[in-house]
Amino acid sequence: MGKRTIVPLGPYHPLLEEPEFFKLYCDGEIVKEMVWETGYNHRGIEKICQSKTFEQVFYVVERICGICSTSHPFAYANAVESIPGVKIPLRAKYIRSILGELERIHSHLLWVGLAGHFLGYNTVFMWAWKYREPVLDMFEIITGNRNSYAMFTIGGVRRDVSPEQATQLLNVLENVKIKTDLLVGAVMDDPVLHSRLKGVGILTAEDIHDFGAVGPTARASGVDIDIRRDDPYAAYDLVDWKVITAQGGDVFAKAEVRLLEMYESIKIIKQCLEALKETEAGDIKAKVKDIPAGIGIGRAEAPRGEVFHFVKSDGGNSPVRHKIRAPSFTCIPTFRRSCVGGTISDAAIATAAVDPCYCCTERMAQVYDYTTGKKIMSAAELIKLSQDSMKKLKAKLKV
Amino acid sequence: MDIEKYIVDIKAKFPEIKNTKVVNTKRLMIYISKTSLLKVAEYIFKDLGYRYIIVTAMDSKEGFEIIYHFSDDSSGWIINLNVLLPRDEPEIESLTPVVYGVEWIEREIMDLLGIKFLNHPKPERFLFSEDWPEGEFPLRRDYKEEKNNG
Repeated sequence: MGKRTIVPLGPYHPLLEEPEFFKLYCDGEIVKEMVWETGYNHRGIEKICQSKTFEQVFYVVERICGICSTSHPFAYANAVESIPGVKIPLRAKYIRSILGELERIHSHLLWVGLAGHFLGYNTVFMWAWKYREPVLDMFEIITGNRNSYAMFTIGGVRRDVSPEQATQLLNVLENVKIKTDLLVGAVMDDPVLHSRLKGVGILTAEDIHDFGAVGPTARASGVDIDIRRDDPYAAYDLVDWKVITAQGGDVFAKAEVRLLEMYESIKIIKQCLEALKETEAGDIKAKVKDIPAGIGIGRAEAPRGEVFHFVKSDGGNSPVRHKIRAPSFTCIPTFRRSCVGGTISDAAIATAAVDPCYCCTERMAQVYDYTTGKKIMSAAELIKLSQDSMKKLKAKLKV
Repeated sequence: MDIEKYIVDIKAKFPEIKNTKVVNTKRLMIYISKTSLLKVAEYIFKDLGYRYIIVTAMDSKEGFEIIYHFSDDSSGWIINLNVLLPRDEPEIESLTPVVYGVEWIEREIMDLLGIKFLNHPKPERFLFSEDWPEGEFPLRRDYKEEKNNG
């Protein structure tokens, strides 16, 4: 065994958008071992949820991740509603599915952009992020926000989609479809990307089973799983769509799955919008009195894979235990099989290929001094600090 | 999936299964003791090929409850293995040799609830920094929030 060099990446690194720490043990350019350290983002969300009412938890889980701010409330709603066995109105089902699929489109576009950026193909990055904007605008029109939508509630959704909004959404979708064609063409027909991504970061179906990896990561290795079809919720069993899989298990296959999934999402949204016309406007929420004692397990297919929420109620007002498993928790460890043995430059794209989301993984912000256990800053003080620094900046720039 | 038949089959195969319970739709709880965990989990994960989802641990009235969740993706059922640990002896055999993916979550449970996983390949802290005080477990019922939050 030759001498090994450690290449540290993080916890704060210009390439990484969130704090995490990778240690690459390398022999020359080949990665021999990889160690991942986490905990920089731990916010204690599971603990916070135990002190909130069932209704308030929606707004906490929505903030686990800015990208998946539909998927977490979705899975949580499935979990909580299963305890008393609530039947939600058809219209709410369709609206929920529309939100879930809009999220998938914008998240996949974000990933395609980032993957392009990691490879040094910045044109794709700029295109993808530009075409993602209209989708976020659409979210703003429907929900009032570009993310953290606050649309979910126990028994349905909080806002209705009007016929005018539906027409606008259809126009945006037409545009997104044209742009997706363009992106798919740019990625799938590019010989440079083929030679850069094929055979890189391969995960076999066996690896996927060992780690319990989900979502596009699993489907790119030929593992045909999708919670929307396997354990149907909302309106996914009422519309026509198919699960996209690919063989190969390399980074290219993962890109292929995500790009083609966007077409399916567009298809689902169009059918849901059509179905909305047949349901009665305003019928978006079932009445739920209280949550009895019991256990609820809810799942939802997020853009990155299955989100899992476990809720235990003792008949009181808030959950006694709320366990959250984000897809990245089982997808990130696959780097042990996909990166080890490859080169350092391949490690970056192979890790990025699972679309890792670190804040989802840790789910746990206040600043404490660990040695004395004293709170250094409260949330209000942090906000004040931010406002003060903004004032200073404005004074300095004279704006 | 014919759940009645499934329950009869698994009970015949593992007579040590204490009890089973269907909760809500498509969720089955199987109550086992900690000594039979590895055997039953191996059967479910390797022989039946169910997908490992995650492990939930909680501090309940009876003791520490650990629930291993597995998913049968062909039918949409979630099979949960429920193990109860006494409060004065929070120890259980690590499942990592059978299900490779549980390594991280077992470390997380060690941090948050202080449950020991015997023969774990890397029993180090996962989420907490090295200077987090010993013996402080945030998800335990007797955890005093004021003590650590100032």
